[in-house]
Amino acid sequence: MATTAAKRPPLTLLDPKVLASLSNLELVAKAVVEGFVIGLHRSPKFGFSQEFVEYRAYGEGDDPRYIDWNVYARTDKTYIKRFLGETNSHLMIMLDASASMGFSSTGVSKLQFGKYLGASLAYMSSRQHDAVGAMVFAEEVLDYRPPMSRSGSLQGVIHTLDKAQPEQGTQMNKPMTRFREHIKRRGLVAVISDFYCDVQELMDNVRPLAVQGQDVILFHLLDPDELNPHIKESTLYEDMETGHSIEVSPLFMNQEYRARIEAHIAAIREASSGMNADHVLINTGEPLDKALHSYLTFREKRG
Amino acid sequence: MPMLMTPLFLLGFLGLALPWWLHRLETQTTEREKFATTRFLEASKKRIHIQRKLKYLLLMALRMAFLALLAFAFARPVLFDIDSFTASEDTTHHVLVLDTSFSMHEGDKLATAQQIATTILNKMGSDDIASVYSASTGVNTLAEPSADTAELLALIGSVEADKGRLDLGTMVSNLNGLIEESPGNIVLHVISDFQQTSQALRFADMIPDVINDRPVTLDIQQVVTGNRANDTIETVVVENRNSVIASVRSFNVAADSTEARQVELSINGVAQQQLPLSVTASGVQLVEFRDVAFAEGDNKVDIRLTPNDGFPDDDLRHTVFDNAPPAPVLLLTEDTASLGVTYITAALETAPRGYVVEPVNIADFDARVMQRYPWLIVEDLGSATSGLEAALRDYINGGGSVLAAAGPRTTALDTLPVLGNPIGTAQLGPNGRPLTLQITRIDTSHPVLSESSGWSSVNVRTVPVAASPEDRVLIAQNADSPVLIEQSIGAGRLLLFTSSFDNSASDLPVKPVFVTFMAEAARYLSNEQLLVKQQITDSYLQLAQSGGASGQVVDPDGETLLSLQDTTRNQDVLLNKTGYYQVFTPAGEVLVAVNPDIRESDLTLMPAQTLQNWQNAVSGTCVGTACRAPAETGEAEPSTTTGAETSEEIAVWKFFLILLALLVLAESLLGNRYLNLKTGTVS
Repeated sequence: MATTAAKRPPLTLLDPKVLASLSNLELVAKAVVEGFVIGLHRSPKFGFSQEFVEYRAYGEGDDPRYIDWNVYARTDKTYIKRFLGETNSHLMIMLDASASMGFSSTGVSKLQFGKYLGASLAYMSSRQHDAVGAMVFAEEVLDYRPPMSRSGSLQGVIHTLDKAQPEQGTQMNKPMTRFREHIKRRGLVAVISDFYCDVQELMDNVRPLAVQGQDVILFHLLDPDELNPHIKESTLYEDMETGHSIEVSPLFMNQEYRARIEAHIAAIREASSGMNADHVLINTGEPLDKALHSYLTFREKRG
Repeated sequence: MPMLMTPLFLLGFLGLALPWWLHRLETQTTEREKFATTRFLEASKKRIHIQRKLKYLLLMALRMAFLALLAFAFARPVLFDIDSFTASEDTTHHVLVLDTSFSMHEGDKLATAQQIATTILNKMGSDDIASVYSASTGVNTLAEPSADTAELLALIGSVEADKGRLDLGTMVSNLNGLIEESPGNIVLHVISDFQQTSQALRFADMIPDVINDRPVTLDIQQVVTGNRANDTIETVVVENRNSVIASVRSFNVAADSTEARQVELSINGVAQQQLPLSVTASGVQLVEFRDVAFAEGDNKVDIRLTPNDGFPDDDLRHTVFDNAPPAPVLLLTEDTASLGVTYITAALETAPRGYVVEPVNIADFDARVMQRYPWLIVEDLGSATSGLEAALRDYINGGGSVLAAAGPRTTALDTLPVLGNPIGTAQLGPNGRPLTLQITRIDTSHPVLSESSGWSSVNVRTVPVAASPEDRVLIAQNADSPVLIEQSIGAGRLLLFTSSFDNSASDLPVKPVFVTFMAEAARYLSNEQLLVKQQITDSYLQLAQSGGASGQVVDPDGETLLSLQDTTRNQDVLLNKTGYYQVFTPAGEVLVAVNPDIRESDLTLMPAQTLQNWQNAVSGTCVGTACRAPAETGEAEPSTTTGAETSEEIAVWKFFLILLALLVLAESLLGNRYLNLKTGTVS
């Protein structure tokens, strides 16, 4: 027993299995971000601060609480205080809730992992006073909350993410069109999905966002069993989205399938880099550190 | 063991390889799981390959055990008694058959037979076995095949003769079934007096079957050497209710001998008369006792020959004479001097039972008188007034029975009185007159018609009465023209003859069948039991159920034969004692006299040549070398097997079936458990 425990990686607050024990998604987000931030203090590169830097003009969507009323009294103009680390941006979290996101071999499904990730991103952005919105989609838009930085908007976003259930297939066309129709302002777009769709279709829908000036990051969630399947006997697999059944041999699953899924991932990565979007492959069996690190790196790159 | 070597069993045992083979096979359709997407998957070809390692060993063991038990169960295995002995094909099986028929009472025949049987058993080889049977009317097993000589000897000493008759054909037929499983070479010792009358009608019936392709050797042991003289009472007839004629038959009387004997008559146990008889030759002599007085009802008539001869048991003959007064029968008619009354009266008065017909004019009839009679006759049902019709219906409802005819009065009616059946229009012939047709259909299962014959020659012009669903049509001309109908009303019944009892509408009254019909109808309607009062031993007395009871029987020794429960059902009572059986039926007490078969009294023996022919014929039943009996030739047949058990066998295949059922249950549970282990998990 001691040997087994020694080989097993230590459980942290960012471990999805640990997070699954927390029933409140907001609590999950807070635990993830706080735990993640504690780890970051060792690094001088990243940091959050409330130190005042400058004023900027109030714009639509800004939280009125941050208006400097003293300046308003003196100048009759509304200005908002900017602090160190504040990016004055908004974040749109697009969560795929298709049926395939319900797959799990670890106890935490991809959708559940996506909720943790989305909530953590929202919490993190909220701390930086960014406006945060959320869109849950599958073949069409299932739920939508526009980006806002007002008080209570974080809870609204987390609630939107929390009530998502795996259903339908995956269609990027409708959600992206809807997004383009409603979001005109530049910002960050985090797409959390397993991207079981045609690569060309995906890029055809993401490219307009990049053209629009949005900074897009694709969180590509895959289960460990999807990345490295291990079967010993022939298995009849049933597609969770279409219900189609197919009988697969162990030989195919261990060799040909892996090559195909890797080719798919590579195709998405290549296509996303071609349109200046970030692609982050995330194994849902691993802690959320990688995803949050990728996000911060992404933000840093985009200024 | 030989059963386990049969090809079919071995083939079934090969089936054990099937589970072993199946458990080495692996197919690709065993698991089913959900997967995020199948867009990167490719269907594999269904392949079956053989694994080096067996899977699910416990399940395989259960399945192999199942098949093994199934194969064993079909082999019908048996367990043998621990005390059993074995007999090889070299073993000689002595089948001792002792004649215990009535004739063996004569002289010292039975003692001689026992002595012969004892001698045979004492000479039996150490490896031999013997079984003992008694043969009379049937064959009874006294001792199963056994090597225990002491036990068999004790059994032989206790054998007693009975009152039955031996028929050698019946005996051999019964023995065939009893010894067909015998493992050894059979030597059939028949110990008998071999009366000529015991020879089967067909000689071939006396040839035993070939048992297991091995010889059957016939050993004839005759207990007497010559024909013996014997006198017996053959028949007893009572005439005119006051004289008894006895027929005395003598067998094998020497030409020059004269024997003086007395013939005694006893009525109900009281000696009445004694007449001398001089026997000088074989044949029949009649002895008539006159002015004999009988009591009313059944009388026990015993005829005895004195002094006793060498076979005293057949010197007494029992007879029952029914001295019951003629029963009165009420006949309702419009004309007491009509032709119909004459025919009815004549028929009933000549019936064996004897009836006195009391014709009464229907117009003067007082219906209250009806209750005195168990049954009555209505010459023309159509002549019944409404008052009489109601009285008749009440009478039948109360248990009375009526025999009615449909005379000219009935023809004029639309509805049949009492029964209510509609009356149609008569069928007319080409000349415009009603048709007279022959009988075409008779229900001979009915008691009234079971004994009568000759109906097909009867021509009847019927009144067109339509039978109702409640009616039982006993005689008909065609489907629409019933001749005799029975309908039960309440506790009684009515028999309707759809024509008249005079010869104006039918020729029935002038046919012989009319007398039989009237006698049987009278017996049936008066509820009398149809009992044959003279029987021979080992015959059966049939007691038919009537009114919820059949009857009770007391044998000649005064013992009650039937339990209380048996008295409510139909019974066949075996009459195996001589004397008088008292039969108590719902209709009253009846006596039945039982005597031995007269053929047992003929002590003439089968000719020696016939016996020799029989023996030769039995020897010829085997073909080739197999016919040689080891007991005679001294040769031993080569033994092909170590031995065959002849003891009590206990079938164990039933237990195998129970085990099979348990195995099926265990296999299902275990197989289901393996299936559960293979189920995939999806969140």
